[in-house]
Amino acid sequence: MATDQGFIGRTFGDRDDVMLTLLDNMIWPILAIVLLGVLVFVPQTFRSARLILWGAVPIGLLVLAESLCLLSGHFDLSIGSIAGFSAMFTGMILGTCPSCWGLTTSPWIGFAIILLVGSVIGLANGVMIAKVGLNPFLQTLAFLIIFEGAKTAMQTQPVTGLPLMYTRVGGTPEFAIGLMLVAFLIAGLVLRYTSFGQAVYALGSSEHSAREVGIDTERLIILIYTISGVLSAIAGLMLTGFVGVVPPLIGEGLVFQAFAGAVIGGISLFGGRGKITGALGGVILIQVVQSALNNSPVIDATQIQMINGIVLLVAILLYSTQSKIRGRILASGAV
Amino acid sequence: MSVEDESATEHRHTESTADDTAGTPKLRTENITKQFGRIVAVEDVSLEIHPSEVFALVGDNGAGKSTLMNMLSGVHKPTKGQIYKDGQPVSFDNPSEARNNGIETVYQDLALMDDLDIATNIFMGQFPQTGFGPFRVIDWGETYERAEQIMMDQLGRDLDIKTEVEFLSGGQRQLVAIGRALAFDPDVIILDEPTSALSVDATRLVQNTIDTLADQGITIVIVSHNIESVLQHADRIGVLFQGALVDIKQPAETDIEELNELMTTGTLSSGRLDD
Repeated sequence: MATDQGFIGRTFGDRDDVMLTLLDNMIWPILAIVLLGVLVFVPQTFRSARLILWGAVPIGLLVLAESLCLLSGHFDLSIGSIAGFSAMFTGMILGTCPSCWGLTTSPWIGFAIILLVGSVIGLANGVMIAKVGLNPFLQTLAFLIIFEGAKTAMQTQPVTGLPLMYTRVGGTPEFAIGLMLVAFLIAGLVLRYTSFGQAVYALGSSEHSAREVGIDTERLIILIYTISGVLSAIAGLMLTGFVGVVPPLIGEGLVFQAFAGAVIGGISLFGGRGKITGALGGVILIQVVQSALNNSPVIDATQIQMINGIVLLVAILLYSTQSKIRGRILASGAV
Repeated sequence: MSVEDESATEHRHTESTADDTAGTPKLRTENITKQFGRIVAVEDVSLEIHPSEVFALVGDNGAGKSTLMNMLSGVHKPTKGQIYKDGQPVSFDNPSEARNNGIETVYQDLALMDDLDIATNIFMGQFPQTGFGPFRVIDWGETYERAEQIMMDQLGRDLDIKTEVEFLSGGQRQLVAIGRALAFDPDVIILDEPTSALSVDATRLVQNTIDTLADQGITIVIVSHNIESVLQHADRIGVLFQGALVDIKQPAETDIEELNELMTTGTLSSGRLDD
C-alpha cells in the first residue's frame, strides 16, 4: 500500500481482517459447535445445566489464575497443587476428624488461613522467578511436586467435620457461580481499565520493552503470581464446598484442564494477547465436555483422563494453527 | 569548539538561526567525562546544542556516542563535568529525571510491545486517567484522542491508532516510538540510530518526521552511523573519536569522505579542523 510520501506500509484484505478477527475470537464458534454436538449426542448433559456451572467454579478460578500468568508471558503449573494444599492445610486446622489437628472451628479464621496460604505460596513463586531468576516452568513444576507431596504427607484420608459456614461458600451453587462470574468481571475490568492490567499485557508482549518504558517488571511478576496463588486457594475453598469434605486427591490434575481452558479461550501461550471473556468461554467449554463425558453411555470413567489429555492436545494444536495462520497473514502483508 | 555559520541547504530548520545560537543553548555540556573503571569512554566533551536544532553525533564503534547519549538521557552520570539545560545546571540520576527535565530518548530497540495497539504503546505507563482516588481508571477515549493528535498533528501521519504494532513496518514502528516520546511533551528528543536497518522509504519517512519535529521547536539529538542521512538532515554534526569530540561540522562545509576520515582517525590529512 502506498501511503504518504511514497512510503510503503503493510495492508490486509477484508478476508484477512475477517480471518484475524475470527482467530482472536475462535472460542465462540468452537463452543457453539461443541454445544451442538453435545446436544445431539449426549443431550442428557444439559438436564443439569446448573450443576455444570457449579462444577465449573473451581476450574473457572484456576483458568483465571492461569490466564493471568499466561497473559504476562509466564505460566503457573502449581495452581492445582496450591488449591489442593491450601484446602488440605486449612481443612486439617478446622476439621474434627481423628487425624485432624482441630485447632479452631471458626470459619472466618479458616477463610483467612486458606487465602494466606495461597498468597504466600504464590508470593514465593513470584519471588523465585522475578528476584532469583528461576525459569517459571521449573519453579512452578517444583512447587507442583512439593505441595502435592506435602498434601499427601499431611493426610491420606478425607478431612471431615469442617464448619458448616466454611463449606457452604463453595457448597451453595448460586453463591459459588456468582463468585466466579464476579471474579471474571473484576479481572476483565482490571485488565482493561487499569494501568496494572495494561502492564500485564505489556509484560507478556515484551518484558524488555515493558522494563524500558518504566514498568517495575519484578514487582509486577511477584504480584501476578501472588494473585494466582490467591485465586488457586479460592478454587481450593470451592472444591471443598463442592463435596463438603477435603478429599485426599483434591486439586490433582486440574492444572491441565485450566491450561486447556485458557488456551482454547484464546489466551496466548506466549503472552500479551487474549481476552478474559474468551477464557470464560474456555471454562464453559471444558466443563461441558467433562459433563458430557460423565453422562456419555459409551465413555467409561477410566477413559476420562485420557480424553482430557486429548482435549489439551487439541487446544494446543488449535493455538499452533492460529499462530501459523496469523504469521502467514502478517507475512503476506509485508512489503 | 563552535560553529556559527548559517546553513544554506533546503533541509535546514528555520528556527535554528543565528539568533538562536547566540541565545541560551537548549543543552550544554561542559567538560563532561565518563569513566568505567580505568576505561575513559567519554573525555572532556564540551558542546552546545541550540533550540530547534537537529544535532547529530557520529563516530565509529566505541567512539563514545552511546555513553554521551546515555549521560544526556540520565542512564549514566558523568564522572566529571556538568550538563546544562536551558542554561541551568542539571544532574540526572535516572532517565525519569531527564524526562522530568523535558529530555526524552528513543532507543534503538524502540521498546515497543508488538501485541498492543499504537495508542496503548504510546501511553503505556502514563495513561490518561479518569475517576477519583483509588477509583481512577484509564480514560480510553482520551488515550485514543491524544494518540491520534500526536500521530496526526505532531507527526503528520495518518495511521490507525488501533492498529497493533506487529502490523507496522520499520519506519512506522519508529514513528510510534517517537510518538511515545512526544506524549511526555519534551523539548529535547534524543534518537539512537533512528534509521538503522530501515528501508530507503522508511528512512525517508523518519527523516521527514525529524524535520517536522524540529520545525515545531523541538531540539533533536541524533546518534547515528548513517553519515549520508545526517548530512542531509542535521544542522550540525559532532564527530567523536576515542571518547573525544574532535570536530563539529556544518553539512554544507563537509562531505562523507571528510567525516569518515574524522571518525576513523580523529583528524584530517589536510589538517583542517574547525575550532
